[in-house]
Amino acid sequence: MCVKRLTTVLAVLLISVVMVWAGGSGETGERDTITVLLNSAGSNDETYRIWSYIFDGFSEETGIEFEYELIANKADYMNKLQLYISSGQLPDIYGCFNGPYSDAAKASGALLNIQAELEDIGVFDKMNKAVVDFLTDANDGIMYLHPQALYSEFFFYRTDIFDKYGLEPPTTWEEFLNVCQILLDNGEVPVVVGGKDNWQLTRYLSFIPWRVTHDDFIMNWIAGTDDFSSNTAAQAGVDLVKTLGTSGYFQRGFTSSDYTDAVNIFFGGTGAIFYGGSGLIPNAKAMYDEGKLGVFPVPSMQGMDNMSTDIPIHAGVGIAFNAKTYDETMRQLLEYAAEHFSEACFNAGVYSPYNDPIPEGMDQLFYDVYPLFENAQQSWVSWDDKLDAATMTSLADAEQELALGMLSEEDFISQMDRTIDTNNGR
Amino acid sequence: MTRTLNKPSVIMMFILPAFITFTLIVIVSIIWVFCVSFLNWNGMTDGSFAGLENYRQLFFEDSNYWEIVGNTFLYTVYELIWQVLGGLLVAIFLTRIRRGRAILQTLYYIPVVISTVAICQIFTKFFSVTPPGMINSLLGLINEDWYYLEWLSNPNMSLEVAAFAEGYKYFGLYMVIFYAALISIPQELEEAARIDGASVLTQILRIKLPYIKPVIISNLIIVLNGSMRSFDVSYLLTKGGPANTSQLLTPYMYKQAFNSLRYGYGSAVAITIVILCVLLGVVLQKIVIRDDKED
Repeated sequence: MCVKRLTTVLAVLLISVVMVWAGGSGETGERDTITVLLNSAGSNDETYRIWSYIFDGFSEETGIEFEYELIANKADYMNKLQLYISSGQLPDIYGCFNGPYSDAAKASGALLNIQAELEDIGVFDKMNKAVVDFLTDANDGIMYLHPQALYSEFFFYRTDIFDKYGLEPPTTWEEFLNVCQILLDNGEVPVVVGGKDNWQLTRYLSFIPWRVTHDDFIMNWIAGTDDFSSNTAAQAGVDLVKTLGTSGYFQRGFTSSDYTDAVNIFFGGTGAIFYGGSGLIPNAKAMYDEGKLGVFPVPSMQGMDNMSTDIPIHAGVGIAFNAKTYDETMRQLLEYAAEHFSEACFNAGVYSPYNDPIPEGMDQLFYDVYPLFENAQQSWVSWDDKLDAATMTSLADAEQELALGMLSEEDFISQMDRTIDTNNGR
Repeated sequence: MTRTLNKPSVIMMFILPAFITFTLIVIVSIIWVFCVSFLNWNGMTDGSFAGLENYRQLFFEDSNYWEIVGNTFLYTVYELIWQVLGGLLVAIFLTRIRRGRAILQTLYYIPVVISTVAICQIFTKFFSVTPPGMINSLLGLINEDWYYLEWLSNPNMSLEVAAFAEGYKYFGLYMVIFYAALISIPQELEEAARIDGASVLTQILRIKLPYIKPVIISNLIIVLNGSMRSFDVSYLLTKGGPANTSQLLTPYMYKQAFNSLRYGYGSAVAITIVILCVLLGVVLQKIVIRDDKED
């Protein structure tokens, strides 16, 4: 009797499970959900605002549901992404970094050739060339990732403080340091930086190599055909970080301020120069409208040939489509995204990677900055995307030590050249 | 009932679930980590056998490792002072007062229940230099130069500030344990000592502390082990920086495994943490057993 009852219960359970499973797949066998993994804090950041705009619109048209997994912290996101890649469990759409992560995703067969799809849809040629350059795979020259948006970076400066001391926005790094010295002599905080976050100091380290060599230095350094000890542009970058850190040009306690702190410090009224970007236009609105704020591009390195692009442009965290789960529905979604992407970006207050006209009603700075990079051909080169994780971690420690004067330029150079060789098995 | 509870099968029934859970979660994990420590593995692609290479690099090539081991020991000493000594002193003080004892106990205990993230945020604001936090604003009133003192970003100070923050958070917990132990001392002992003319200090040193010695030792072991494996405060407050000046072994293990994607190397660091904790535990146990025999 007892066995019979147990068998009945198990049979009912089994049938229920089968019915639920069949219901989840849809009666026709077509998908009814799309899974998404994003490096995002949710409704507060533009990544979510852009993509949820697309997904919500697509959902309304097709009835497809989107299941989000959002991870705000970049390091945590990288860990999760790496776990998904190694376990072969990547979702349908996921944020991915162009470099070692996209290589691993590609090797696992879960990275769609998005360039081919966008060419097929007929929108690839509309995309900003610098953004394409940023997301292009270094090995085969194909773009596998869709841009998150178009981000430009530049220096904000306080026009009221500059005017007070008769200063002009610097065009070379020599002028930049002179401006810093004058500001420091007059009791101002010359530069605000979020030195607790690795990428902030890495920007200063890589500005000069970027202006002089674009990605040649970093790619050759990784390949072992160039190094800090023989590349003068890279050495100038090292000197720059050392000078800025040890001369008191960065704000006091810069290594305990993260990027958010630095943004709050600068837009709270402390400091004369801050390296930020288009993502901060809403923060800059009040000061800019009062005429207290200006922008200038990355200065040139005096005495060296610099490339013409001086505004770093990047695409944020690239968005990958999983090649293993790419089907007709996903193709429809990509078409929908391409058609509505500019609208979604402008709606979120950021630039679109597609060359569509900017609508009315944006902040004035949004229009004023655009001509600086409208025709840029070469992208920013993020060292933190290109370098392997172990080298990047060592670099972050070493550049802090360099900026604090705990490490000499020579020691930094020899240490980093040794590190890249070790981490690449040379 | 007593006979049933004494049956080996009943005893096993109570012990076995905990034993199995502990084995699966702790022992198996340690064995797994030990195996991974011999691999060169980035977590994404297949790992390759590296033999003792991770350990060789760790002990002989990693210029940070021994500095971080030193930091961890120093941090442990600070924690023993803040949490065990501080908790004990405050507990003794509380047994000496009658008015406001409950309020003070509550105040001291509040940091224990506040989340570590919140405590670290508070300390970040307190010790901020740009803009000046509360500490520098107050110090600046005494001496103008102190307005610009660096704490969290000072390579010579960041470890101490992190240790202070962790000590502040947890000393209330040990204070409560010590207080409970102190008030359990029989009144007759104190009264007898008072009648014999023992001063307050003598009563504390000769009667109270020896009486609660097992509690002191337990707390010492807990703080010692906790500090050797401390992660959250240092990671949240200073990120182990500037550079690695306030770095501890556990966040360093995390950094190597998850930031540098060197799972084998991070596992090697983890194994050294296990060995250090076991060694310290054994040494402490030996000292305690020797002291007990001498007593």
